[in-house]
Amino acid sequence: MALEAGKARTILALTAPAYLWLALTVFLPLAVMLYFSFLTVTPLGGRVAEFTLTNYTDFFTKRIYWFNAWRSLEMGFYVTALCLLFAYPAAFFLAKWIAGRWREAIFLLIILPFWSNALVRTFSWTMVLREPVGLLFTYPAILIGLVHAYLPYAILTIYVSLQAIDDRLIEAATSLGASPRQTFARVILPLSMPGVLSAVFLIFVPVIGSFMEPRILGGKNAIMLGPIIEGEFVSAFNWPLGSALSFVMLAIVLLALIAGSPLLKRYADLA
Amino acid sequence: MTRDGARVWGAGLYLGLMLAFLYLPIVVMIVMAFNRSPLYELPFVFDLVWFKALATNDRLLQASFNSLWIALVTAAIATVLGMLAAYAFARYEFRAKRTLQVLLFPPITIPWLIVGTSMLVFFFWTGIGRGLHAILLGHVALALPYVIVVIGARFQAVDASLEEAALTAGASPWQAFTRITLPLLAPGLIAAALFAFAVSFDQFVISYFLAPPGVSTLPVEIYSAIRKGFTPEINAVSALIILLSMGLMLIVARFYKFGGER
Amino acid sequence: MVRVGVSRRTALGVLGAASLLALATVPALAGGEIRVLNWQGYGTDEKWAVEAFEKKTGIKVTHDYFNSEQEMLTKLRTSPGTYDVVLMNNVYVPQAMKEGLVQPIDESKIGNFADLTPSLRDSPRFLIDGKHYAVSWVWGLTSFGYNSDKIKQVPDSVTGIFDESKFKSRVGWRDDALESIQLAALATGQDMNNPTDMDKIKAQLMKLKGVLKTFWSSEDEWNKHLSAGDFDIAVYWSGSAARSKKAFKLPVEFWVPKEGAIGWYDGLTVAAKAPNPDGAHAFINFMVDPEFYVKWDTDAGAPASANAKANAMLPETAMNRKVLGDPEIVKRVQWMAPTSDEQRKKYQELWDEVKTAIAQ
Repeated sequence: MALEAGKARTILALTAPAYLWLALTVFLPLAVMLYFSFLTVTPLGGRVAEFTLTNYTDFFTKRIYWFNAWRSLEMGFYVTALCLLFAYPAAFFLAKWIAGRWREAIFLLIILPFWSNALVRTFSWTMVLREPVGLLFTYPAILIGLVHAYLPYAILTIYVSLQAIDDRLIEAATSLGASPRQTFARVILPLSMPGVLSAVFLIFVPVIGSFMEPRILGGKNAIMLGPIIEGEFVSAFNWPLGSALSFVMLAIVLLALIAGSPLLKRYADLA
Repeated sequence: MTRDGARVWGAGLYLGLMLAFLYLPIVVMIVMAFNRSPLYELPFVFDLVWFKALATNDRLLQASFNSLWIALVTAAIATVLGMLAAYAFARYEFRAKRTLQVLLFPPITIPWLIVGTSMLVFFFWTGIGRGLHAILLGHVALALPYVIVVIGARFQAVDASLEEAALTAGASPWQAFTRITLPLLAPGLIAAALFAFAVSFDQFVISYFLAPPGVSTLPVEIYSAIRKGFTPEINAVSALIILLSMGLMLIVARFYKFGGER
Repeated sequence: MVRVGVSRRTALGVLGAASLLALATVPALAGGEIRVLNWQGYGTDEKWAVEAFEKKTGIKVTHDYFNSEQEMLTKLRTSPGTYDVVLMNNVYVPQAMKEGLVQPIDESKIGNFADLTPSLRDSPRFLIDGKHYAVSWVWGLTSFGYNSDKIKQVPDSVTGIFDESKFKSRVGWRDDALESIQLAALATGQDMNNPTDMDKIKAQLMKLKGVLKTFWSSEDEWNKHLSAGDFDIAVYWSGSAARSKKAFKLPVEFWVPKEGAIGWYDGLTVAAKAPNPDGAHAFINFMVDPEFYVKWDTDAGAPASANAKANAMLPETAMNRKVLGDPEIVKRVQWMAPTSDEQRKKYQELWDEVKTAIAQ
């Protein structure tokens, strides 16, 4: 009994600081927005608002919202998939095949772009992508910009996972007769899953809400849920609708997580 | 060529190409900082005019300094708070765990514009108001999910039994933590701190909403400059920041092995 | 209010450090400083003007900016007591007054008040219940700016800009629902403030698919796009076109088609809880003074002044005299009116539909 209470106190002490901070700065403010999302108009400036569900039903009935939500999810998939595709080999080579000074140097070089400002970087891309390359203001340009921005995140998290894998496990597998492919599929990949999943979390989620890179690089092809939400806040002063759309997006992401979680469990058990 | 030799060669080539891609716009950005044309026109004419302009641009320098120390403080606070929470998730099973983990999604999923607006309104209603304190509150909040996830991933690789062994051997929980767990956790902590720093340093929306008049951060200044008419002075400050951080990291690398042991 | 143990201590510690830094930026008390809220680069923050004002009155000027009119209102609502002078498009003044965000102007403190054009100065949106709640400052048109090196002959009608055979992928547009609907209303011969046939409007805007190259969202973007050849003709504001030509030396001319242009006028207001209302009035008077205005338009380029005397002092060739001073053109102007929440909602939806349809 005393053990249980002590354990509960420990857990509370460990999680309270972070979550109370989040509560004050994010959860409570967002709760306010959630409340707004059920109103007809933004209840500021003497407006009288009534309760309504239309901000949510509009998502399903009006094409511009669900179609653009799909566009955003699609973009999220592409960017995440491309990032993982290119980052995994890089992280793997760095963690397992390169050592010493070289490894440190390359590692530093990979994380250095974190220190460049995203806006300036994106504008630099416009210089690279316009004529004669001619990709500016196209959909692929948005992909290039976003993959470029999020690639280091993927490399970093996958690397951290891979680097922790004990080499003796690999040696053991090989000595037991496993082929390189089997070793990779049965030992390395599962053990690196935490890193891969972190990468998915850190990339997919922000990408589907992004509106800056799409706007600067995509021109008129930037229309997706992110820019639509921005329009509701910045131009239309329709915070209820903007918030509702954001919460719907959040719900979609959480649903995807719940749907994918049996898969995650399988990999976690393998490792 | 030995199999290992071919491997290293192949790996090097792949990494080289990847770095080329990562640095393409950055090199362009740095090169244009030295180009005389204010409209980014070619041909390239070497000139230090923008760096000289930067030296007298108090506003931009002050904003850069603000961003730097805000990011440092954010990284420190977020890493500590996040590590504690990540530790709880990694070492304990409890009913609320799933809920708490899911709660990490809203700060990252909801567009920053919404989070920023809601913070502005909420801080106004609760009297917290705008200011540097508000900016810090916001930055740490946005960095926390990243930190918790990254450290969490690293925790998976730190064997709990090592800690338990230490405890059985007579070490206090604090000693077990600092002597065993912490060093093993270190790469994850460094990565998390880097993320938190990057998230804060580049954070525009929250800073924009919560900054009081007259106080600015670098991303806000860059954004204003871009709307008003930006000259390569922006490139100059960006180039300097990259060079500075490279220098800083090289210094830290002397004392701590990036990329972990081995 | 729940406070957290650990993080509060940390926060206080940080606050201590922060306040040392913030001391440099904490404003002096009333009498010594004013805070202005405006678009960036829109006259009130001209370096020479601020310096001249400071020298003349000893009052220091700090600026805060907004990127959309909704943002301006949000900032006003959530930061009472922060701002002294706020720029406001006339269509928002009545609402701001109703919400108690702005205070009446003390005309005795504005020496130039009598010189302001009566139709603007006493517009029902500024003069409410016998009191002025804003000082009319500048006015201008939203129409089209174009690259005069590349386009020698502009179309007659605004529908010409949607002509794919002439302008395929050469047009720039602003991503703004209200403006787009207003321009489409002009193109389809409707009242821009109360269009009745929304289907026609939508059909007209769909034609953007063939001609639109990209959207722009700031003057600088407009300039950079034009000089890089991204677009040759684009929606633009009259004052900004003057600036592009004057200050940035770009080959820009302003086009007002036969259907007319969108007219707007801005005023300077004093915020309701302004810390320094006297300073605010002094600054506003300085801004409507011909001395400031002529230098502003000559050096940088500006919208037209609400002070007729100031306008008359401009050189004959100035765009403001040539284009906006031309009664023929002024006749074709349709003046912007306030939009209701309902209208805005409808417009935003329509515009989002258009944007979705024209994207790839």
